[in-house]
Amino acid sequence: MNSVASKRLFQEYKHLTTDPPDGITAGPVNEDDLFVWEAMIQGPEGTPYEGGVFPAELKFPKDYPLMPPTMKFLGDIWHPNVYPNGVVCISILHPPGDDPNHYEQASERWSPIQSVEKILISVMSMIAEPNDESPANVDAARMWRERRQEFEKRVRADVRRSLGL
Amino acid sequence: MAETVPALQTSINLPQIIAVALVGFFAIRWYLNKPAGGGTGGGPPGGQDRSRRGGQAVDLTKVEQVAAMFPQLDRRTIAWDLQSNGGNVSATTERVLGGRGLDNPPPSFQPSLPAPGTQAPAVGVSGGAGSKAGGGASAQQDLIARYGLQARIGGKGKEAVPSEEQLRRQAWSSDKAARAEGLRKRREEMVLEARRRMQERDAGA
Repeated sequence: MNSVASKRLFQEYKHLTTDPPDGITAGPVNEDDLFVWEAMIQGPEGTPYEGGVFPAELKFPKDYPLMPPTMKFLGDIWHPNVYPNGVVCISILHPPGDDPNHYEQASERWSPIQSVEKILISVMSMIAEPNDESPANVDAARMWRERRQEFEKRVRADVRRSLGL
Repeated sequence: MAETVPALQTSINLPQIIAVALVGFFAIRWYLNKPAGGGTGGGPPGGQDRSRRGGQAVDLTKVEQVAAMFPQLDRRTIAWDLQSNGGNVSATTERVLGGRGLDNPPPSFQPSLPAPGTQAPAVGVSGGAGSKAGGGASAQQDLIARYGLQARIGGKGKEAVPSEEQLRRQAWSSDKAARAEGLRKRREEMVLEARRRMQERDAGA
């Protein structure tokens, strides 16, 4: 029943293993269940997240790739587009079709021609360049907008702490 | 038509009533026992099932027992193995001694274990605080603890640092276990590498 989703996820896993993008590692937590992945994303260089490693959990629906997975960071990440509970808010993870609020183009949203790799790369660039328009973490967004130095200091401190330093 | 009434009456006979009463009795007993017996896990039930339910009550004394024998092992890994084999200390011990090593617990497995060094409370602590399933973003442990890398950041024990290319390009193994192992290694190396670099930067500053 889920063979389409499983096959596709397996293919993507294989591709991400043999030809991983820079700073990204991803794969199923347990191959017996291809619908739960763990990914690690390196903090982009030239940003306060540089030097950090951010693990995240991806959960795929049974009708993947028709519908997008959800993504949740497993550690602290202070970012305007990440909810305080770790859930990532980014257009590529939104179901296909037009945004009822006309914020996002349909092309930015999920569609079956996207992939886990594209999600992770998008999230990486989202980390580097927060989208101020639809903040998921209002406090972080406000700090980013109004007190950039404090924001960066906090992010750097979180990164060090996450590495046990 | 007159036949149907007695037929209905006789269709509920004594054995059936007894059977229903018995089933009901056991159902109630099972239901009442469930919350109390949840933590103590009588017998080895399907380990996978238990872990998926997020019932992360692990007998701390057993974990400590194994940890005392193998101080190099991460307590979380021990707890995971104990949970999957139904709390069988000797099975875990044999597994380690047999050189097979223990499986890495999934990230969602976060039992409430005392910090290493502090003594486990003598009285069985049921994993009440272990309800933080799924690892919310609050009160985080660091990545070193999450991936059980404490033993590898001592500074001593110079490990061969794999070249970047070697790490990046992984051959696709046809063996499932080898693939899982490769993924785990790459993950751990990513964390260790990040820490090394941060330390180098500190030293340079």
